[in-house]
Amino acid sequence: MSNEEKQALFESYNKRTHLLGRVASVITLVLLVGVPFVIGGYLGTAPDLAAVGSGFLAIGLIWLVSSVAEWLVYTPMLGAGGGYLAFITGNLINMKIPCAINARDIVGVKAGTPENEIISTLSIATSSLVTILVLALGVLLLIPLQPVLQAPALAPAFDNVVPALFGAMAYKYFRRNLDIAVLPLAVMSLLFIFVPKLISSTSFMILPSGALAILLAWLKYKKAGGAAK
Amino acid sequence: MSILSQLNSSFLYIVCGGIILFIALVSLFFLIRAYRAGKAMGIDTTKMKRVITASATFTLLPSIGILLGVIALSGSLGIPWPWLRLSVIGALHYETQVATAAAEQAGLGGLSASTMTAGGFVTICLLMSLCIMWGMVLSTLFNKRYLRRIGSGRVQASGGPGFGDRTMTAMFIGLISAYLGSYIGGLVSGEGLLRFRGDWLPLAVALAASLAMAFFVWLSEKKKLAWVESFSIAGSMLLAMASAVLLGGIR
Repeated sequence: MSNEEKQALFESYNKRTHLLGRVASVITLVLLVGVPFVIGGYLGTAPDLAAVGSGFLAIGLIWLVSSVAEWLVYTPMLGAGGGYLAFITGNLINMKIPCAINARDIVGVKAGTPENEIISTLSIATSSLVTILVLALGVLLLIPLQPVLQAPALAPAFDNVVPALFGAMAYKYFRRNLDIAVLPLAVMSLLFIFVPKLISSTSFMILPSGALAILLAWLKYKKAGGAAK
Repeated sequence: MSILSQLNSSFLYIVCGGIILFIALVSLFFLIRAYRAGKAMGIDTTKMKRVITASATFTLLPSIGILLGVIALSGSLGIPWPWLRLSVIGALHYETQVATAAAEQAGLGGLSASTMTAGGFVTICLLMSLCIMWGMVLSTLFNKRYLRRIGSGRVQASGGPGFGDRTMTAMFIGLISAYLGSYIGGLVSGEGLLRFRGDWLPLAVALAASLAMAFFVWLSEKKKLAWVESFSIAGSMLLAMASAVLLGGIR
């Protein structure tokens, strides 16, 4: 298949992906915002809108800023289909992003290409389905599973899922990009050491850390003579 | 009827389960559609199947972690709502924070079944939805324009990776650095500036995962066991989590 044919096929697929993604997102939004009212109707009450308003001003604005940052950073990584699905199903940092990046690496596709769009969508959709299945089975078996999953001996394992994930990913990425990784890791470590309050805002610190890594990657790219290398 | 019985009623299971089913169908639809489009575009189906297998194994362990989030929240919010939240849009690392803050804003003093009321519960539900829905709102409104602007979806001639590709890798390195830095900071200053009395377990677990990953990479590259790659992240995480159990005992 020529590149032109491939591009035409992909564009028609992508156009429909945007339409379907938007429709699915809007339906999900309506369901998520509507369901508290439906549950309220069943329980004979309604959400306290004044408390919701003041609560949103107090805590929602922080998540709004965080969501804007997440959307700006992760959308190019995920592409259209993966992006819509990931923002619908959530758990981006601790699951969907590493999952999509891992999938991309396994098959060796480049970000921003039609292949990446397909691989990213396959990866995010599979990940979402597995999570939904595990949670559904877990909820079904909640009573027999609870003593096992909540056993004090296993608590350190489940408390450290994210360090286990990022430790594994660190080896995979740092070993080929040590010159890009050293400085952000050093700067972040020093920041968290001298301003330990920032530890509770790690998700916000991804932005400066990522910006520094991108700057270093750009300098390396320029030094190597751009795309020719 | 106690508040928890109401929050665990069949009605709530049906409502929340119905929405989860809808999301599962959307995911399945996107999966099949992408697979067919990939096949039509000439992408190797073996590669696509490998992506599906790797993503499924990759997701298994973090999903069990998320299930624990459902269990943790179920004591105060019942099972159906946390099940919905963590299957759709929610995120393990901030769901509890938002629920707690929402409970305070709803005037309940905190997240507890003893103080929970029906009115408080639905207020918390609405606030939780409004706080975390913005990624979805932004993607609905701007994804198409944003992706077009950054030139995503162009067929590239073969050759070395462009800067766009390197940007994604660099951003991901930045993400990992931020988290590893937070574990180092937590150990050194988590219990007071430069006191080295903080929690060392996350850093030790990350190190164990790196070592396990190095072993899997060695198997894959030096012993030519390419199939290992699909399971390397899940396997490294499993070994690191097992080490957390052992190390947790001596902490």
